Amino acid sequence: MKWMKVFLAAMAVPAMLFASGTAFANEGGVALKPVEVDPADQAQIRRGLTVFTEVCMGCHSAKYVTYKGLIDYPEIAITREQADELRGDKPLAAGMITDLSPEDATVSYGKVPPDLSLITSARRGGAKYVYSILTGFEHDPHGKVPDGNFNEYFPGHRIAMPDPLGWLDHDKSDEAELLQQAQDVSAFLTFISDPHQNERRHIGMFVMGFLLLLTLVLYLLKREVWKDVKH
Amino acid sequence: MLNSIMKTKLFAWVDQRTGADAIIKSQLTEYAVPKNLNYMWNFGSLALLVLVLQILTGIFLAMYYKPSAAFTSGGYTVAFDSVERIMRDVNFGWLIRYMHAVGASAFFFVVYMHIGRGLYYGSYKGPRELLWIIGVVILLIMQGAAFFGYLLPWGQMSFWGATVITNLFGALPVIGEYLQQVLRGGFAVGDPTLNRFFSLHYLFPLLLAAIVGGHVHALHVVHSNNPEGIDVHNAEEKINFHPYYTVKDAFGVGVFLLFYCYIVFFNPQMGGFFIEVDNYVPANNLQTPPHIAPVWYLTPWYTILRSFPDKLLGVVAMGASLGILFLLPFLDRSKVRSSRYRPIFRQMVVLFFVTVIILGYCGHSAPTPTLKLVGQIATAYYFAFFILLLFLPKFEKTKPLPDHI
Ligand code: HEC
Repeated sequence: MKWMKVFLAAMAVPAMLFASGTAFANEGGVALKPVEVDPADQAQIRRGLTVFTEVCMGCHSAKYVTYKGLIDYPEIAITREQADELRGDKPLAAGMITDLSPEDATVSYGKVPPDLSLITSARRGGAKYVYSILTGFEHDPHGKVPDGNFNEYFPGHRIAMPDPLGWLDHDKSDEAELLQQAQDVSAFLTFISDPHQNERRHIGMFVMGFLLLLTLVLYLLKREVWKDVKH
Repeated sequence: MLNSIMKTKLFAWVDQRTGADAIIKSQLTEYAVPKNLNYMWNFGSLALLVLVLQILTGIFLAMYYKPSAAFTSGGYTVAFDSVERIMRDVNFGWLIRYMHAVGASAFFFVVYMHIGRGLYYGSYKGPRELLWIIGVVILLIMQGAAFFGYLLPWGQMSFWGATVITNLFGALPVIGEYLQQVLRGGFAVGDPTLNRFFSLHYLFPLLLAAIVGGHVHALHVVHSNNPEGIDVHNAEEKINFHPYYTVKDAFGVGVFLLFYCYIVFFNPQMGGFFIEVDNYVPANNLQTPPHIAPVWYLTPWYTILRSFPDKLLGVVAMGASLGILFLLPFLDRSKVRSSRYRPIFRQMVVLFFVTVIILGYCGHSAPTPTLKLVGQIATAYYFAFFILLLFLPKFEKTKPLPDHI
C-alpha cells in the first residue's frame, strides 16, 4: 500500500494550501462581519425583496430576475397582484430594471451602480461582503474621504454609493432594524445569485444516497468477482 | 450478461458483418491484464468517463449558448446573458452547466492522477513510449480545449485570461504578432475571438475522442504495465479485462461519482477554484482585475512562465516544460520501470509531484517576492528532474526485481 501513502501525502499539500488560502480569502485585509443568511428562508427572502425594491432598486437592477420569477420561485412565491404592483407598467417577463438611467447615475454618482443579480457570487465573501458594505459606512479616521463615501469594507475605502440604509450616525434605537434590513437583503441577493440552489441541494441529497448504495453494491460485486484471484 | 447477448441470433447477424465477436473477445473478455493492478489504474477509465460527460453536457450547452460579445444591458453581453439563461430559465440548465464546469476540473484531476501513476510506475518506458507520447498529445489538446472553453462565459477572468495568454504568442519572434492576431481575430480579444474560440472549443473534444481511441488501441497492443513494473509472461499472472477490471472500474466510477456529484450539487464553485469569483463579473476591457490567474489546472505552467524576467524566455520555458514530457521515455534509460525498485528515482518523482503542486499554488496566488522565488526554485527542479534522469542510471543502485508478480 505504498502508493496509498504517496497519494495521501500528495493530497495533503493542496489541502493545506487550500486551508491557508481560504483564511486570506478576503483580500481587503479587514475581516468581514459575520452574518447568517438562509437562502431557503421564505420570510427572510421576502423581507429582503421589499428592501431591495424599496431602497436598492432606486439605483440598482437585478436584470436576470423577472417579475414572473418572483411568482414562480417557491422561495419567494409572491402573488400575481403583488407582482403587478411591483412591476407597474413593465411586462411580467421583464427583468427587475431600475428607473435610474446609466447617464443620470454617472452624473449623480460618477459611476453606474452594478447589477446585483450575481453580486454575492461575484465578490469574495458573498453575503458577508454585502452585509459588511451596507453596515460599514463610517467617518474617515483620516478625514480625507467625505462622509457617506467612506466604507471600511470597500476596496480602497472610497465608495460611490451613498449610504443606502442610513447607517452612518444612526440612532442606537434603530440599530437592530438596520442590521435586520441589511441581513434580509443579503439573503435575498444570495438567493437570486443562484435561484435553483435549494432545488440543487435537495436533489443532491437523493443523488448522494443513490450513489452510496450503488457504490456499495459495486464494491460487493467487485469483491465477489475477485474472490478467487490471489494477488 | 455479455455472454448471453453474444449467443443471440441478432448478435450472430451483426457479428457476420462486423466481426464484433472477435473484437469483444480480443478487447474485453479475453484481453489479458496483469492481476496486480492497484486502484491507481482506475484513473484511465475515469478519464474516459469524464470525456464522455463533457461531450454530452457540452452538446446540450451549445444548444442554448450564444457566442456573441455584443452588449445587452448593464455591461453584460449576449454570451454572458445566455449562460445566465441556462442557469436560470432552461430546465435543469443549472445542472448541465455545473456538471460541465466541475467536469473540466474533474477531467484534469483524473488525468493528472493518471499521468502521475504513469510516472511513478515507469509506464512511459519501452515498449510503451508511443502510448505515453499519444497521452501527452491528449494533455495538450485538453489544455487547449479548457482554455478556449474558459473564454465562453465572457466574464472578467475569461476576457483577461485570454488576453494574457494570447499576448504570450506575440512574444515569439517573426511569426509572433501574426499568430496573435490570427488567434484573436483582430488586434485585441473581442467578438471575433469569442466566435473562433467557440468553434475550436467544439472541435478539440472531437480530436480528443479520436486520439483517445488511438491511445486505447496503443495500450491494447503493448498491454498494461503493473505496479512491479516487470513484464508478465505467465498466464496465471494475468486475468481477463472482463469481468475483473470492468467491475473494478465500475466500483471506481461509483467512488468518483460520489465526489463529483458532491461538488456539483453542494459546492459547484469550489470556493472560487472551479468557477472563479471574477468570472461572475461581465468582461470589461477598460478594467483590469487586480489579480489575473488561470484556473488551477493551468497554474503550474503559468508559474513557469512567470519565473523568467524575459517574456520570450518565459514562453519558451513554458513550452519546453510541456514539450519535455514527449522526451521522457528517451531521457530515462534505466531498465527498471517501477519506483518500487528504484530508491533514488522514487524520491525524485515524489518531489516532482510536490513541485508541480507548489508551482500550481504559486500560479494561483497573487505574486509576492517570496512566492516568486519559491516558484523559480520549483521551476528549476521541474527541469532538473528530467535532466537528472539522464545520469541517474549511472549511480542509482536498483533493487533486485522479482521473477513474477
Ligand atoms: C443612491 C443610489 C444607490 C442605492 C439606493 C443603492 N446603491 Fe448600491 N451602489 C451604488 C453605486 C453608485 C455603487 C457603485 C460603488 C462604487 O463602485 O464605488 C453601488 C455599489 C454597490 C455594491 C457593490 C460594491 C462593490 O464591491 O462593487 C453593492 C453590493 C451594493 N451597491 C448594494 C446595494 C444594496 C444592497 C442596496 C440596497 C440596500 C444599494 N446598494 C442601494 C448606488 C446605490
